Amino acid sequence: MIRIHHLKKAYPNATPLQDVCTEIRQGDVISIIGPSGTGKSTLIRCINMLETPTAGEIWVKDQCITDKKCDISKVRRKMGMVFQSFNLFPHLTVIENIMKAPVDLLGKTRQQAYDQGMQLLRTVGLADKALNYPDNLSGGQKQRVAIARTLAMEPEIILFDEPTSALDPTMVGEVQSVIRDLAKKGLTMMIVTHEMSFAREIANRVFYMDAGGIYEEGTPDEIFDHPKREKTIRFIRQLKVHEACITSRDFDFIGLMSELEEFGRKHQISQKTIYRMQTVFEEMCMQILLPQMAEGFHLTVTTSYSQKEEKAAMQIRYSGKAFDPADENNILPMKLVENAAERIEYLPIQEDAFNNQINITVK
Amino acid sequence: MTIEKKLTGTELTIALAGRLDTTTAPQLENELKASLDGIEKLVLDFSSLDYLSSAGLRVLLSAQKTMNKQGAMVVRNVNETIGEIFDVTGFCDILTIE
Repeated sequence: MIRIHHLKKAYPNATPLQDVCTEIRQGDVISIIGPSGTGKSTLIRCINMLETPTAGEIWVKDQCITDKKCDISKVRRKMGMVFQSFNLFPHLTVIENIMKAPVDLLGKTRQQAYDQGMQLLRTVGLADKALNYPDNLSGGQKQRVAIARTLAMEPEIILFDEPTSALDPTMVGEVQSVIRDLAKKGLTMMIVTHEMSFAREIANRVFYMDAGGIYEEGTPDEIFDHPKREKTIRFIRQLKVHEACITSRDFDFIGLMSELEEFGRKHQISQKTIYRMQTVFEEMCMQILLPQMAEGFHLTVTTSYSQKEEKAAMQIRYSGKAFDPADENNILPMKLVENAAERIEYLPIQEDAFNNQINITVK
Repeated sequence: MTIEKKLTGTELTIALAGRLDTTTAPQLENELKASLDGIEKLVLDFSSLDYLSSAGLRVLLSAQKTMNKQGAMVVRNVNETIGEIFDVTGFCDILTIE
């Protein structure tokens, strides 16, 4: 239905979309998730040409809409867009807001537009508000009217740009349930959202956006339960990460211990867990690994904390020959590490400069 | 880490505050080496000690060995976290913890 080839959008100070290639099929409901500033909204705004792409092509059916000769207003009639801010006309009543575009652009009679508008208002549960002005409605009601207005144009696809993020939390549910009903009817939709449970439940495909494009794509189960790529894992598990790279025995140990402490405090990690993270770091690196490392070594310690699971984990990677700390005579430091850890796993690896990896789940 | 010493006859009390770790353990080791001559009772006060690593444990073990020859050593005011370390490492059986 929509094919996107090497789409790029660059602004003077940022390039949210570096190279996006994807296809949207009839009936797809696609949730677009990812950190702020990763081009989620830019992507859907490019799809209906509210933003002009810097490079690349977008095809809607057999028409290249990035072609300058394309009549974009005609293409837009088939694409509905629901914005974060509802963008209703304040001087028109609810039903007039819904009737306007079908009368002006589709050439429907006022009666036809009224009948259809009332039908749509019933669908979104607001038939009794038909003669109200937008100012008399709550945020959730305004957004439902905005959805009905979009549906009045009988679009083939609806693009939702964070439809619930401007709403009071109590009103999020009513708007989500309207969108859910549309998904059940088989309407093709793309939804930018920060609400993960909604993103998961509604979609058949999920785009995780990061690093200038669709960083990982999959079914909701694939993305939310078994994300494969590093940034997706961090995002889904709400991981906060601290990385330390050590290449000299004279590194700033005190500074690093303070960094771990600060990292812990910043993310509300309990004092006990911070203590255990520091114990793992000190015993593993200072007492066990560094004394046996050859010149020119590489050692990295990645500490991550999952706010979702309230768990800390540490990954230690180092160069040199295969060396499992548990095999050597490091009884005292190992006892302290074991006391701080729930699980310790050693893996010989071959990746960049690293030959060894230890994964530790902190108690 | 700060080290505060108080000598009463042949009894030396050393109060530690802060972190006894890889970087500070040598400081305590040196202090003990210089102060244990003629001492019959060594009291280590841990009421303000926040953190203890294996490097610190080694210094404590060495002090205990020295004091076994010339008198006695006790460790006082151990907090819960450090007490746990003494337990898992078996130091609770080696040291006299009051």
